[in-house]
Amino acid sequence: MAGRFLAIDTSGTNALVALGDADGTLLTERRWPAGYRHGEELLTRIDEMLAATAVSLAELGGIVVGTGPGAFTGLRVGLATAKALARGLDIPIAGVATSEALLAAASLAGAFEPQRAVLLLPAGPSDRVVVSGGAARLIRGGEEAELELGTIVVAVDLPGRALEEALALGAEAEAGLAAALVRLGARRLAAGGDDVARLVPEYVTLPRGVSVAKGEVRWSHDHR
Amino acid sequence: MTPRSLILAVESSCDETAIAVVEDGSRILANVVASQVAMHAASGGIVPEVAARAHLRWIVPVFDEAWAAAGATWDDISAVAVTEGPGLAGSLLVGINFAKTLAYVHGKPLVPINHLEGHLYAAWLADETREVAEPIFPLVALIVSGGHTFLVEMRDHLQYRLLGETVDDAAGEAFDKVGRLLGLPYPGGPAIMAAAAEATRHDVVFPRAWLGDTFDFSFSGLKTAARRTIATETDGHGTAIGESALTADRVAELADGFQESVVDVLVTKALRAARQIGAKSVVLGGGVAANRVLRDRLAAGARGAGIPLVVPRPALCTDNGAMIGAAGARRWAAGSRAGLDLDARPSLPLARR
Ligand SMILES: [Zn+2]
Repeated sequence: MAGRFLAIDTSGTNALVALGDADGTLLTERRWPAGYRHGEELLTRIDEMLAATAVSLAELGGIVVGTGPGAFTGLRVGLATAKALARGLDIPIAGVATSEALLAAASLAGAFEPQRAVLLLPAGPSDRVVVSGGAARLIRGGEEAELELGTIVVAVDLPGRALEEALALGAEAEAGLAAALVRLGARRLAAGGDDVARLVPEYVTLPRGVSVAKGEVRWSHDHR
Repeated sequence: MTPRSLILAVESSCDETAIAVVEDGSRILANVVASQVAMHAASGGIVPEVAARAHLRWIVPVFDEAWAAAGATWDDISAVAVTEGPGLAGSLLVGINFAKTLAYVHGKPLVPINHLEGHLYAAWLADETREVAEPIFPLVALIVSGGHTFLVEMRDHLQYRLLGETVDDAAGEAFDKVGRLLGLPYPGGPAIMAAAAEATRHDVVFPRAWLGDTFDFSFSGLKTAARRTIATETDGHGTAIGESALTADRVAELADGFQESVVDVLVTKALRAARQIGAKSVVLGGGVAANRVLRDRLAAGARGAGIPLVVPRPALCTDNGAMIGAAGARRWAAGSRAGLDLDARPSLPLARR
């Protein structure tokens, strides 16, 4: 990968866009509270950031996108945008698990091993998701996350639904997310990146009672 | 005529990921659709989360194939058109953000399109097999699909007056629900049509909801009547998919009776509306327009009234990108533009009364 790359993460209620260098250095970032309306501002924020840093679209050498887990509304927007940027500019794309980037950022800030920590994220109004060792597990509302003694909890987007200590670590993780995303993304882009077609969100919570049916999509070609 | 145009069109409002390239609002250079029907068949309906994820998975391959088939360059493209609503919010978002970003990267205007307008404009896509090249104004259009059932009057391009719509279920939805009750596979439309074609007796009569002189539709009473009949005939056990307690012959007769009721109301109201406004043509569109009995019955009625019926080929009646490209060409010429902040409008209406 040559030159600079653009990183996007829209998995949380705070969205971010950032510019990174091929060696994994964070050049600049923009963060804003997006709630559940990531789609309205994402391209405008990207455009503003590129203009402010005098980097043109044509100079971008890759796209890095956070793949969650997180709010599916935001992830759809982020991934659809990232895919169109990669295809439109004909440059590589790399997906980075937002959970991995958040844990990396938290461990850097708190000076602990990332393996000692788990990430706690919201899944709808009452459920939560706990991510450890790259695997996500759903905790229903009212249930407790059964964790081993000594586990460090990093809670993001859970005001009032996690311990203060965990929320404080979560805030630090969010503050360091852009740098971690750029660091991990640069590595992944250098290794060739991902297949732009196959990249989908890490983990999607389905409505209660629904499991994913394995099935094929049917193609039709109508060239008349 | 509209100015010459080449529109890249993106449609993802429900469970079809579709991208097309359309020339001058009528000639299809490419029209690729990835349908999730097979995926949703197992769950008996659309799961929005699964649909949106599938859109993300298939949008790039669909784009690549459409782009290669069209053989166009970005210099040739006049605008990118995309469905902004109505539809499933999560599904719409995938197409909207993909289209918006392509338009941004290539410096092209972005044209937002109402999905229902797309169904209407499918009638303007070139088809040399039809008796008229394109619809003639004023016209009455009947759009029937899994999500929508309405009658609209058009006196000119992009001008709509709503004559009537469903007050409860869409016709396609009723097909799905009754299909399930009869133990037929999802989606119900094609399954009921196929089952009904096997009927040797045609004496099952279900009620028709005429709703007085209005052009509105109602299918919930019909659905309830079908459920009662099926429950009675199966000793109240009902049926599960694939294991109907009814014989195949009986399923065929009930499917036939149900289909007759739906088609009768749709055709009668469409023809009455055409007479009332002095229509010079009738347009039929939407996924249920693929139903052969509905097409034939409406065609016969229109012929009797001396006006042509314009029905797109079945592949252009179900959701596709070409119809968005056809509407997109008109909207682009009329100056419709969206900004980079375009968001999904899940309950966008087409027209007022
Ligand atoms: Zn439709």
